[in-house]
Amino acid sequence: MRHVVAAGQTSLALLLAPGLAGLIRWMKARLQNRRGAPFWQPYLELRKLFGKEVVVSSNASWLFRAAPFVIFASTVATTALVPVLAVPLAFDTMGDLVVLVYLLLLGTFFLALAGLDPGSAFGGMGASREVTVAALAEPTVALAVFALALSAGSTNLGQIVAATLADPASAVSPGHLLAFAALFIVTLAETGRLPVDNPATHLELTMIHEAMILEYSGRYLALIEWAAAVKLLIFFALLGNLFVPWGVARTLTPDALLMALGTFLLKLLLLAATIAVFETRVAKLRLFRVPELLSVSFVLALLAVSSSFLLR
Amino acid sequence: MALTLPLFLAMVLGHVVGAGGALLAPTRAGARGLTTLGAIVGGAAGLVLGFDTLIWGTPFRLEIPQLLAVAGGVSLHLDRLGAFFLLVVEVVAIPSALFGGAYSRVYEGTHSLRPLGVMLNLFLLALSLVPLADNVVTFLLLWELMSVASYFLVLTESDRRETRQAGLWYLAMAHGGLVLLMAAFLLLAASAPSTGFADLRTAAAALPAHTRNTVFVLVLLGFGSKAGLVPLHVWLPLAHPAAPSHVSALMSGVMIKMGVYGLLRVALDLLGGGPPWWGGTILAAGVVSALLGVLYALMEQDLKRLLAYSSVENMGIIFLGIGAGLLFQSYGLTALALLGLVAGLYHVLNHACFKGLLFLGSGAVLHATHTRNMEELGGLIKGMPRTAFCFLVGAAAISGLPPLNGFVSEWLVFQALLGGPQLPRPELGLIMAFAVAMLALTSGLAAACFVKAFGITFLAMPRSVHAAGAHEVPLAMQLGMGALAVACGALGVGCTLVVPSLGAVVAGLGGLPAGLMTGMPGLTLEMPGTVGVIAPAALAAGLLLVPVAVLVAFRLGGVDRRLRVGDTWGCGRIGQTPRMEYTATAFAEPLRRVFAELYRPTEDLSIDFHPESKYFVQSIAYRSEVHPWFERLLYAPIVSFLRRMAFRVRWLQAGSLHLYLLYMILALVVLLLVSRWTS
Amino acid sequence: MAATFSQLSVLGSSLTLLFVFVLLGRRGVPAYVNAFAWQSIVLAGVTTVVAYYGRRPDLYWVAGLLVVVKGVAIPRLLQRMERRFHAERELEPYVNTATSLVIAGLLVLLAYAISRPLVALSRLPTRAGMPLAMGLILVSLFVLVSRKKAITQVIGFLMLENGLALLAVLGTYGVPLIVELGVFLDALLGFLVMQIFVYQIHETFESIDVERLSRLRH
Repeated sequence: MRHVVAAGQTSLALLLAPGLAGLIRWMKARLQNRRGAPFWQPYLELRKLFGKEVVVSSNASWLFRAAPFVIFASTVATTALVPVLAVPLAFDTMGDLVVLVYLLLLGTFFLALAGLDPGSAFGGMGASREVTVAALAEPTVALAVFALALSAGSTNLGQIVAATLADPASAVSPGHLLAFAALFIVTLAETGRLPVDNPATHLELTMIHEAMILEYSGRYLALIEWAAAVKLLIFFALLGNLFVPWGVARTLTPDALLMALGTFLLKLLLLAATIAVFETRVAKLRLFRVPELLSVSFVLALLAVSSSFLLR
Repeated sequence: MALTLPLFLAMVLGHVVGAGGALLAPTRAGARGLTTLGAIVGGAAGLVLGFDTLIWGTPFRLEIPQLLAVAGGVSLHLDRLGAFFLLVVEVVAIPSALFGGAYSRVYEGTHSLRPLGVMLNLFLLALSLVPLADNVVTFLLLWELMSVASYFLVLTESDRRETRQAGLWYLAMAHGGLVLLMAAFLLLAASAPSTGFADLRTAAAALPAHTRNTVFVLVLLGFGSKAGLVPLHVWLPLAHPAAPSHVSALMSGVMIKMGVYGLLRVALDLLGGGPPWWGGTILAAGVVSALLGVLYALMEQDLKRLLAYSSVENMGIIFLGIGAGLLFQSYGLTALALLGLVAGLYHVLNHACFKGLLFLGSGAVLHATHTRNMEELGGLIKGMPRTAFCFLVGAAAISGLPPLNGFVSEWLVFQALLGGPQLPRPELGLIMAFAVAMLALTSGLAAACFVKAFGITFLAMPRSVHAAGAHEVPLAMQLGMGALAVACGALGVGCTLVVPSLGAVVAGLGGLPAGLMTGMPGLTLEMPGTVGVIAPAALAAGLLLVPVAVLVAFRLGGVDRRLRVGDTWGCGRIGQTPRMEYTATAFAEPLRRVFAELYRPTEDLSIDFHPESKYFVQSIAYRSEVHPWFERLLYAPIVSFLRRMAFRVRWLQAGSLHLYLLYMILALVVLLLVSRWTS
Repeated sequence: MAATFSQLSVLGSSLTLLFVFVLLGRRGVPAYVNAFAWQSIVLAGVTTVVAYYGRRPDLYWVAGLLVVVKGVAIPRLLQRMERRFHAERELEPYVNTATSLVIAGLLVLLAYAISRPLVALSRLPTRAGMPLAMGLILVSLFVLVSRKKAITQVIGFLMLENGLALLAVLGTYGVPLIVELGVFLDALLGFLVMQIFVYQIHETFESIDVERLSRLRH
């Protein structure tokens, strides 16, 4: 039964992800006084892409064709680890937060390689920038994991959620709040949102994520776009369910699950709105200012850990 | 006991026959074949011997007191710690020997293969026997044999000036380390009844604290220089690229691990652990090595030097785990100590596998394209698909990507560091937190580094004629690489089978309890002391299942399956040349800018203007170099001081043979007179 | 029994010491080679005596090796070398003949002084010969320092080896067989290396005067 629920919640996450990306886009459009495409537009885009022919560069190798599958697989595996609706998760023992970080790194690794494969300068540039940002975001994530593990006594996500639910006061402890802030900045970096990267730009020199996937088309591009949306949802689920876990089902009864679904959608909505407002207000940073932003998040995470230590 | 002696003899004999065959075989191909055969036979025997002792605990002891009786005789003893390192040696030795058999054909006609074969077998013999040494003289002799044999192997291409320089640095630092080790062992043996390790162990318990601390510092410096701890690592980026590729695989994959073995043997086993600053120093050195190693690896264009710096980084990670383990042990937190040590040891094995694989891969690239410079490579994946796949496995493993082996050992190190809060002093816990952050940064930078290494070397278009003409390497070389690639995967997915044995390796040393590792569940990896649980096998299954499911879904959903080949998008320009690709330097440039304070790159820009007008530029020459400033800051003063001293003493060397003889005879006569009149 | 043993050993040792004075007194290289050959044979004789009286069967092998290697083989090689370089005569050593002989005598006295504690410590019947062996060593060293021709130096070195072997035989009835074999191998290889060097010196300087080597410094 638990495995069915777990598989179900993974599928739910996969299905919701494009809608989430579309929602953020719609909100930004509204804030910028445009009508904006409806939030279900990404589903239509995916369907269109799945029906199109793939054009592959003559310089590319088998790695170019295999990379979308690896990226998608790593993202799906990560989704299976994240608590979306219920804890304890069936796949909880498969991996913990550290595994999650490294699975995302797996995706980034192959995406960067796929950017280098066709031999275009844009792909190389995107790959180079992406690995820089990913590497510099790692210490923050590690420290945030440390802070969470410190208060929960485990790095497994299900345990962390359960521990926070058992001790509600810890949710507003300085450690948790600072870790939330740090992780929020990392979300912006890892999912390619402003001010780190502009997902809507059409100028190649300002792209990071988009530059790497410039050569992709058809079903491969569909998989990669979907994986990017799922990554966004994963980070939102982490931000929501790890730090504000109320609503997550502890038992597997239908009411609990329904309520979990409701609160999850609410959290997604709130976070999407926050991101949309933030992206509208902020301009994209020059690439060499991004490390400064990431070092701010690192310091926040370090403070989170110190306060967790010293206030135990 | 029934099997161990024949296995041991087979191991020794295999290498001796290999060395002898290399020297005496009538044909060059015969010399090569005998070298390889001897090495593989000796390696296989050693592998089985190591397994026997590690898994079933069969002890092995061999004493030859008549040999070198003056210094205590030759004494060999294989316990679990030694058996583990013997296994590490043989796991890399067998594929490397296989690879080397076909690779050394490149040297036929230009360099002599016979010394190469002899020295290779002697090197392998010394490497296999160092973990067995059970008294001071045996250990030091085998250590020296290991260093000298590898020196000669490094000098195989001695016609190149940089190789000779590399050999000089290597020899100097190896012998510096040896002197420190001799001093340490002498201090230990001074108060012991004999020089056997068992006696040293019992005598060490009674040594005063300052002697133990001195021994520890000497041993850390001596073994640390062999292991490549910053700042004693300067020989590594010089010597490893200069050696033939299968020798580099052995040196980087196995020989530097002997530094770890020595440190564990002396600090943990003989001295039985010590005050917290021991573990703390090792941990700090590990963090610094890891970061600096990967940062300098990122800046390299030479493929093999990049791998050498990456070895420095991974040794840093190993020392991180071991330092954490020793730190926990000094506070009596035995479960966490076991965890840290197991993490370090697992990374020893894993690094041996994937670094060996990567060096063999770079050897294959060198074999096919005759260049190590990444800026001249590219597009090799089409001409050398199997080599490229093996290199990809190695690159993914070293970046710590699940579900391969590098990820499992890094996870274990993380878990060990996450036990920091349990230390009684919060400052130490904070230091561990900082170490966690630095380890994560290192991990990310390593992934960046190997995206660069694999991507620039193998992907896109060839950047030179050499690369364009590359074709796949001989079967023996592919088999060597493939064996190690399979090992990387197996060690990752099968980690639950490996970890209990690793626990048994350290159990009983330094007061760590045995039997802590019994009863581990099958598929999930969890140790007493970890704060998390993972299941790499399940992860691997999941990661393989999803693409299959996607493909099935494609088939069922009627997704368009057409594929057309076209040109790369170039913003509307026509044609694409290799000059338009990203270069290795360019790839690492953002990180170079971010860490510019550390690198302090020198920049030299010269612009040629048109003679008629300053506004028209004819050519721009830009030159930038990143020099590791250790050499400038630390070693240059020492070297120049030595030079000045040597110059001052020059007058003693008048050039006359008789004068030198006179010096010796006068010294002898003076000594005799002194001893006569003071007795 | 012990008395004959002691007397035979002292007789043999004195003979070996006398042979080294040939190097200081005579001028021609063939004489040196003969002196060395005979010295080795006498040394083999002393070794046999010790083997018989001291009941050390190993030493018979050592004596045999001495005769074959140092009594026959090496002198043959030396003669061949000397024929090749036209048997130059040692005309102007650093120290002239008379002074050399006086110094050699003083060195033997010094050897007696130095060996007093050794003789006092030893209980073996052969102990009386030890100062003579020591004297042989010191005088050979002196030959190395004061003679200029490379061949003379080589022969001086070989006699030094003989002196060390004699000291070992008299002092401890020989050293373990494996060490003896090692020393023989060492001496043989050293000799071969020196042969090559003498050849190279001759090639470079058209003479085997070792003093010319200092010209290489600049």
